[in-house]
Amino acid sequence: MINVAALGVGFPYIASMPADFYQSGVIDFVEITPETLCFQRGNSLAPVPQQVAKARAATRGLPMVVHGVELSIGSAHGCNTGYLEMLDLFQASWPFVWHSEHLGFQTIAADDGATLEVGVPLPLPATHEAVELVAERAAAIGKRYGVPFLLENPAYYIPSEALPHDPQIVDDIGLMNRIMTRSGCYQLLDLHNIYCNALNHHLDPFALIDRVDLDRVIEIHVAGGSWRDGFWMDGHNGRVPPPVWRLLEYTLIRAPNAAGVVFEVLDPFAPRLGREAITEDLRRARAIWDRCHPVTRHVAA
Amino acid sequence: MSLREFQTALGRMVRNTDGSGPLDSLLLDANEWECLHALQPSAALQFTRAVQRSWCEQRAANAAALTLSILTDATRRRILEEWINLGGGTLSFFGAEADALLDFIAGQLPDPSTELNICRLEQATLRASIHTTCFQPLDPALFDPQKALRRGRHAGLVTALLIAPGLDLLHRVAAPLEQLLWERLSVPATAAVLLQEGYPRDLIATLLQIGALEQA
Repeated sequence: MINVAALGVGFPYIASMPADFYQSGVIDFVEITPETLCFQRGNSLAPVPQQVAKARAATRGLPMVVHGVELSIGSAHGCNTGYLEMLDLFQASWPFVWHSEHLGFQTIAADDGATLEVGVPLPLPATHEAVELVAERAAAIGKRYGVPFLLENPAYYIPSEALPHDPQIVDDIGLMNRIMTRSGCYQLLDLHNIYCNALNHHLDPFALIDRVDLDRVIEIHVAGGSWRDGFWMDGHNGRVPPPVWRLLEYTLIRAPNAAGVVFEVLDPFAPRLGREAITEDLRRARAIWDRCHPVTRHVAA
Repeated sequence: MSLREFQTALGRMVRNTDGSGPLDSLLLDANEWECLHALQPSAALQFTRAVQRSWCEQRAANAAALTLSILTDATRRRILEEWINLGGGTLSFFGAEADALLDFIAGQLPDPSTELNICRLEQATLRASIHTTCFQPLDPALFDPQKALRRGRHAGLVTALLIAPGLDLLHRVAAPLEQLLWERLSVPATAAVLLQEGYPRDLIATLLQIGALEQA
């Protein structure tokens, strides 16, 4: 049995936010993307001590969770082991309550076998081969760090049916559910990604959530986006749209092990959104959290 | 089609910077080829490519923000477009490719020019700041006057500004003799030779201590 205490409402660490923002009482925990505190040389990533110290000082007293972006867990030619080596160092210096990554791939093999960056995360096909590959890696990562490992459902613009898929798995939700079962890892349910996919592919977001294995959801993301070229983009560049708030209420009531809700904003957009608007959305998230969810949860391993 | 081949195909289609066709050399049967070929003109793939390109452009713009900010809109757009067409901007964290991008930009600027000076200044600052994480001053006991000295690989001297990983705030104004020594070391020379040429020992030691010079 793994006990995950409910943390409440969280916000990403953004270095450009005012120093007192994280101590203002509207944030219960902080989500760190450790790569943003690193320098990269070749295939290796190393935390920059000054940047880590600055982040720790700004977020002092708050529980911390990790949200990585560089692992590329679904790359068939190999995931980013440099990221894991960096995370080993990072955990030793700053322990985290849980950590998460994105379900997808962003590197491919070049003709000479070297790793080639695509430049954007891409969806995995809903196939047994993808399940086996990711489940094995996720299980190993879960053991390596000794804290819950979560995978985030992606936003995608290419519909599942246009990708190879096995009929028993069907789509990205079937893929995620099978990986959870096979690996024993948990889910970071990004409700804005569900909203994006529903808008862009004409699906019912509530029906999508009904298919998610909500018992395994530990963290929830909400965020904003914007229209571009006829698609709703997962831009993390705005306030949370009203339909996503409704999805949060709907989900929290049904996700007995959810331990935290994070309002995601990308670094460059935080100043444009402004502290007041960010605080309003954090307070709204807290109101829903308080109304829809009890304080402490236990997660079956 | 294996997962690896599917990913190679989709990744190539999204990158769209490789000279050959994205499906060339992959082991695809007729149905698989048809399926992926049909995806290429779709609005979904085109949009995914547009997102990829805009992310790459934004990363590259962040990587050389100072230099790009002083160029004309047309020059900035042209340089970024050429860089992205070469496959640049794909790394999530731009520090790793910023040095190469600044070299690329420098190659397209008039020499001499203010723009080139600023580009070199940004590059020197980048190199020095990255190296602060692992910079160790030379142990004086290891100083060997017979070993060649060269400019520090993580240091720079641009328009009288000395930038080095061992300096507080990474920079200070270079003294005239420091500028002369920096110019002199466009070709490495041993400390013994430099001393014969009249460069003071203290000056050489100081520059070694801050990483502006290093033993080759």
